[in-house]
This record gives sequence, structure tokens and C-alpha cells, in this order.
Amino acid sequence: MKILVPVKRVIDYNVKVRVRTDGSGVDLANVKMSMNPFDEIAVEEAVRLKEKGVASEIVVVSIGVQQAKDTLRSALAMGADRAILIDATSDVNQDIEPLAVARLLSRIVEAERPDLVIAGKQAIDNDMNATGQMLAGLLGWGQATFASKIEIADGRAVVTREVDGGLQTIGVRLPAVVTVDLRLNEPRYVSLPSIMKAKKKPLEERTAAALDVDVTPRLKIVRTVEPPQRVAGVRVASVDELIEKLKNQAGVL
Amino acid sequence: MYLNETQEQVRETVQAFADDVIRPAAEALDREERFPAEIFDEMAKLGLFGIGVPEALGGPGFDTLTYAVVMEELSRGYASVADQCGLVELISTLLVRHGTERQQAMLPDILAMRRKVAYCITEPEAGTDVSGIRTTAEKDGDGWVLNGGKIWIHNAPVADTGFVLARTDKEAGTRGMSIFIVDLHARGVERGPKEHKMGQRASQVGGLNFSDVRLGRDALLGEAGRGFHMMMSVLDKGRVGIAALAVGIAQAGLEAAVDYAGTRKQFGKPISDFQGVQWLLADMAKDIEAARLLVHSAAVKIDRGLDATRSCSMAKCFAGDIAVARTADAVQVFGGSGYIRGFEVERLYRDAKITQIYEGTNQIQRMIIARELMKKGARA
Repeated sequence: MKILVPVKRVIDYNVKVRVRTDGSGVDLANVKMSMNPFDEIAVEEAVRLKEKGVASEIVVVSIGVQQAKDTLRSALAMGADRAILIDATSDVNQDIEPLAVARLLSRIVEAERPDLVIAGKQAIDNDMNATGQMLAGLLGWGQATFASKIEIADGRAVVTREVDGGLQTIGVRLPAVVTVDLRLNEPRYVSLPSIMKAKKKPLEERTAAALDVDVTPRLKIVRTVEPPQRVAGVRVASVDELIEKLKNQAGVL
Repeated sequence: MYLNETQEQVRETVQAFADDVIRPAAEALDREERFPAEIFDEMAKLGLFGIGVPEALGGPGFDTLTYAVVMEELSRGYASVADQCGLVELISTLLVRHGTERQQAMLPDILAMRRKVAYCITEPEAGTDVSGIRTTAEKDGDGWVLNGGKIWIHNAPVADTGFVLARTDKEAGTRGMSIFIVDLHARGVERGPKEHKMGQRASQVGGLNFSDVRLGRDALLGEAGRGFHMMMSVLDKGRVGIAALAVGIAQAGLEAAVDYAGTRKQFGKPISDFQGVQWLLADMAKDIEAARLLVHSAAVKIDRGLDATRSCSMAKCFAGDIAVARTADAVQVFGGSGYIRGFEVERLYRDAKITQIYEGTNQIQRMIIARELMKKGARA
């Protein structure tokens, strides 16, 4: 079984994000970038499926700037077999929107013919939560989103989903798109020997133009603002006062 | 940064491991003086022992610069953990360079921490001046008989295999020493009590006594009489490792001090608003960066096969000195809290001190730098 995992290069989750002074977006110049944490979980799951003997090959794909090669190398070091970079822009500030990403991925899927696409449920930069669903739509495949458990058997994926109010288990026929949630697994630390081995794994380059997909943004960012500053708390004298404030001031009771 | 993609990837991995696994455990390990076997097992799985061992011999085959990066990040977590990595690196470098195929067969066990090693040089009368060692190995049939005593040996209380410097020719001075690979569970080996140290307290240190320990013919590493030179040949790499370890301690102190200064309020504002504190932090940061650059430049010289002796001594000496001075500053930023057990900076200050002493005291490093200056001129 072949698994395809798309990975996105995003601002590192430890970085304190700053909004650009003109409000046009987030400052990405000289900021540490890493693999989207949900995509790391997706790669980890694919690698575990390969270690269990369920999967035979893992292909990782990243779309964007040349620097996304670092992200692909990380995925290769985690255990993916080969990587494809789709060069879609030279501007680090340009975000390729979900529909364009899904179209590009569908071209790769047509060429690679994987049995399963495992993707992060969303990227932590724009939190769109759309690419996996759009890809399934374009391909006409089944989809299972927000996975916290994946089991593959008899040409089907049995996926436990984290939904509002609990867990839902569904079966989808392969090929399918599965997007993963936080509790699916804990990604491994890559070992030094595997970093060395990853250098020798194949990394192929394509361009969005050659795949005939228009990546021109269709969304316009009107304004980006910093979240409001946290204000100091108050000390209450009694439980009664606390309940009164929760009821009448905070309105949470 | 000037690190390449692979080195950067290694740094990120070890940094995450140090933050998630090592640093949170350091306080308890220091308090309990405990050998962190479970952390070493994890590190072995990640290939963090024997970083320079070539792929053909079961290691990842990284260069000295990568080794320095790993040592700094591990030490930022906890210096005792990094020091184990440094010890394995020295022993495995010796085995790779001088070991027979049969001796190298023990490398996989050493890298997996299934076989713990000790590097046995120091004796009561031979500290900085190694030529004073009195441990002897006398030829006996096919092999040798080992007699003598070693002190302050890292891992002595727990090690399985010792790499022991012994005199094989009493008349030949430094050309009369050899290194022997000794089974420390063998008859005639006696372990002294564990020392209770000021810092790096999870490192197990103690003495070893050898009385009529029988060694087979495979016990000799490299050539007889070349022990001192083999030891000297790995010193440069050893110094880079300890220098990087010192930088890691100082970096941990800086991180703690910056966090604390930004949150601790006095006179109604964070203490980082006061210039007196700002200058402490600025001086810490610039000394640490300078030390790191010295370490990296020494490592690159080794990797390019250039004469690195002067650079390695400068890196070791400077990094050790600033590790002590700047962790003292970190304590100062914390004020009274920094003097209390359980606060990280209190431990860091204690952990830093030994970096001016081991792997060649900083007085010796200065002697080496001066000697190199007089011998080769002031231009580096």
C-alpha cells in the first residue's frame, strides 16, 4: 500500500507571532519555520503503518517556496521514502490557498496513485481546515476527518473521529483521504542516523506552472490584528462573590 | 545561520529532546546523584552516542562541528548527560582510529549503552602531569598483568569496560605507556566508593584498583608504547566537546535569567526594565556567543584537517571561564532565589565549575596557547 502525505512549512509553534505593522499579515522574515505539527502527526502515522507492514511506500509532498525542502527532509528523516517539492512561489509571504493546494495534490495523486492520503486536519498558520476535504472532493474519494485512530483492513480504513460531543467511528473504502487530529499519536524524535540516511533519499522537484494549476490568491486579507492583551485578574473575598461575578460579569454560569 | 541543513536538523532534534526529556529531569538527577540509565537508553536509540563513528562501523558518521552542536544542546539540558556523550565519543574515536577489527566489534554495544565504558587516566600522583602514572602492565606470556590504582574516573562505579593507561616500559617516559581494554568485572578489579561532587552530580565518579589483573593479548589498544600519543591525539576533540558543554551550561543560565528578568517584578516593573540587570544579560549573551563561535571554529579546523591545537585550547579555556562567570551572573539575576537548591541557576553555577578543571585545567590551556604562540608565531 502506498501512502501520500502532504506537509506544510509553517511558522514554528514556539515562535511568538508578530503582526506586520501594515496589518497585511504575520511577520515571516527571519522567523523560525517548521513542519506543521498536524502534518508531523500524519507522517508519524504513515511511518507506523509502514513499520507494521501495512504500508509499503510513503511519499511526502510540500507546496510553496524552495525552503520547504527542509520540511521534506524532516519528513524523510522521520521515515518517508521519497519527497516531491512543488515550487509554487518565490515569495515566502505568499500562502497558497487550500483550493490551489488541493488541485496540485490531486495532480500528484493522479500520477502517484496512492491508496491513502493522510494529511494534517489543518495548518497552524491560517487554520483553514479545508485542504483534505477539497482534495477528497476533487478526486471523488471518501474522506474521514479529525482522526484519532486509524485501522486499515480489507481495502477499508476504519477511522475514529473526534467530533463535538465524543468519538465517532466510520469506515471508508480505499482509496480515501484521512485528516488527522492531535491525539492520534506522538511523533518521534528523529535519530541522527536517519537524518544521515534522509540525505540520500530522492527529492523530486515540480512546478505549479508545469502542473497547470493557477495559484493566484482568490482571498483578500482585509486586516490582521494582534490578539487583545490579557488583563489582570481580580481577587474575590468569598465563594458567593465568585459565583455572583461568574453569573453577572463573566456571564459563564 | 552558518550551520548546514543537516547540522541544523540535528540541532533541532537534540534541542527538542533536551527540552522535553533531559532538562525537566535534571533537578532530581542532581539531588539524587543518580545515573540516568533511562535517558541514556533513549539517547542510544536516537544515535546520540558515537556521533563521529562512521556508518560502516554502525555510527551516524557526523563531523566534529555536528558533535559540538549536539554537546551544547545536550548540556543545555543537563551537563552530566552531555558528559556521557563526550566520554563515549572519546572512547569510540580511539577504537575507530586504533582498534583491531575484533576490538571494534564492541562498538555497537558501546553506542547502545549496553556496555558502559570508563576512560582511566588520572592517578593520585598523575593529574595534569600524566607522565607521572604508576599503574603498570607487565608482559606475561601472551598477555599482561595489570597493577595500580586510578582515581576520579568517570563511570567507574557503573562501567563494564575500562580503557586504562598503564606503563609498559619504566625507562621510556611518555613513550613507555600503553592503553589496555580491561573487563572491569574481572578478578582483581576493585571499585572505590562513589565520590560526592559539587556539580554534575549525576555523573558517577570514583576510583578503580587493579591487583594482578590478567589481560589477554587482545587487551592492548594500538601499539605498545603509543598510549600517551593516542590519548593526546583525541585531546583536541575532547576539548571541543567540553568547551561546547560549557557553552550549553551558560546558555541554559542565560535562558533562565532572561525568562526570570522579564517576569519578576520589583518597584512595580519587571527587573529587566532596570539597566543594571540589562547589562548583566547583555554581557552574558555576548560572552556565550563568542565562546560558541570559538568552539565552532575549533571544530571546523579539526574537520578540515588544519592545526587546531591553539583553537581547541582557546575554546576550552574561554568557554569554561565564561560558563563559571556567566552562570554566577544568572544567579545574580535571580537574587536570593538563585542561591536556593531546586532553582536551575544554582545547579548550573555548580555544574560549570568543573569545566575549568577537567579535560586539561584552564591553566594548562593557557600554557598550551602561549607555547603555540612562541613556537608558531602570533598569527593564527
